[in-house]
Amino acid sequence: MQEFKSLKDIPEQDYFTGGSSACAGCGPSLGLKLALKVLGPETIIINSAGCMTLLPLYPNTPLKASWIHNAIENAASTAAGARHGLDVLGNGDMNVVVYAGDGATYDIGFASLSAAAAKNERIIYICYNNQSYGNTGFQWSTATPYGSETKTTPRGKENPTGNTAVNKDMLKIMGAHRVYAATASLAYPVDFLNKLGRAKERDGFSYIELLGACTAGWNYDPRLTIKISKLAVRCGMWPLYEIEHGMLNLNKDFSELKPVDEFLKMQGRYRALPPDGVERLQALINEHWAELKEYNKQRYV
Amino acid sequence: MREEEIPYKGIEGIPVIREPGSAAKVNRGSWRLVRPVHNIEKCTKCKICYIYCPDAAIDWTPDGPDINLTSCKGCMICAEECPTGAMTEEKEGA
Ligand SMILES: Cc1ncc(C[n+]2csc(CCOP(=O)(O)OP(=O)(O)O)c2C)c(N)n1
Ligand code: SF4
Ligand code: SF4
Ligand code: SF4
Ligand SMILES: [Mg+2]
Repeated sequence: MQEFKSLKDIPEQDYFTGGSSACAGCGPSLGLKLALKVLGPETIIINSAGCMTLLPLYPNTPLKASWIHNAIENAASTAAGARHGLDVLGNGDMNVVVYAGDGATYDIGFASLSAAAAKNERIIYICYNNQSYGNTGFQWSTATPYGSETKTTPRGKENPTGNTAVNKDMLKIMGAHRVYAATASLAYPVDFLNKLGRAKERDGFSYIELLGACTAGWNYDPRLTIKISKLAVRCGMWPLYEIEHGMLNLNKDFSELKPVDEFLKMQGRYRALPPDGVERLQALINEHWAELKEYNKQRYV
Repeated sequence: MREEEIPYKGIEGIPVIREPGSAAKVNRGSWRLVRPVHNIEKCTKCKICYIYCPDAAIDWTPDGPDINLTSCKGCMICAEECPTGAMTEEKEGA
């Protein structure tokens, strides 16, 4: 596929319509709309239970591609099965794509994801990461960042930090499976869709993790979905990079990161995070960024 | 019951949606408190509003963006991201 150079190159064809019950301004919905521009209608999407499960709500669907509602535990296994079945039927050109939340990816469905990646199944696994169990009311997942409030990590007198755990380094984990692994952002659609285009042509497993800004859970005005997504990249909360054959490639390099405070103050989930919490989060970000800079263009995992 | 005794019912009864994109006819306009208004004179046809609409409520035409008020939920991402001020906000029902 030819690489897109600017927004103007992105196809004008959509395989996604309005009318879903997702929140106004929903980041993960936008991610799927964009992805389908590259994937096209000859695609089977396997979705683990989560917010996106409510997109096709009988008798209507916003999708112009096929969709399988799957359990949280095994979207990757279903995808591998679909891939093998299609190949046997001579349908090798059909795309098999998982669209799964972070809870399904990092936690509940991790065993099946790991197995499919280790076997290098020819599927594209997109994790839309809203950094929580969003659909059930914003509970903590192992993708939740340090300092975020969630339903199960409330901020209070005894624990002013909210979430005190540091999120899993999922990119490194997937990179260590020796598959293609990349992060992506809604605010950088050209980068996201080029990564997807490359994944589509790969003869093996691809993992793309899209930060899915969530207006309801992150608690911000829906108009800010893109601004917040962009700040996440600019302040190093969500660096854009890819790992292939264990080698690291930093896609967006900056001479200086913006302070994380700018990102935090736009969202209710970080409201009242005390200064020492902000400091610790900034230190975690700086550490990760320094690591990415150090290993850029080198063996990383 | 042994397996061969279980009567096979095919896919009858399992809900299958056969019309791709049928949700386009669902009215989400009632969710809006504010609506986007497009001012063609200020528009540079940069496509930003079209790309970023999460509900595909903006169609791209030779004249630029065309807002579909059945699908538009009034998130205002389009107005927030428009670099020229061609997409503005109006109170619903005003
Ligand atoms: C094994 C299992 N546990 C719990 C649930 C209930 N459940 C349904 S959706 C959901 C949230 C999933 O979170 P995530 O994968 O991050 O997707 P999101 O809702 O954030 O889009 C949960 C916990 C379930 N369906 N299956
Ligand atoms: S809760 Fe978040 S992820 Fe779920 S539909 Fe709303 S905005 Fe989208
Ligand atoms: S307000 Fe939101 S839903 Fe409506 S057209 Fe603009 S971006 Fe799309
Ligand atoms: S973002 Fe603004 S200038 Fe660009 S196409 Fe839309 S309305 Fe026109
Ligand atoms: Mg989630």
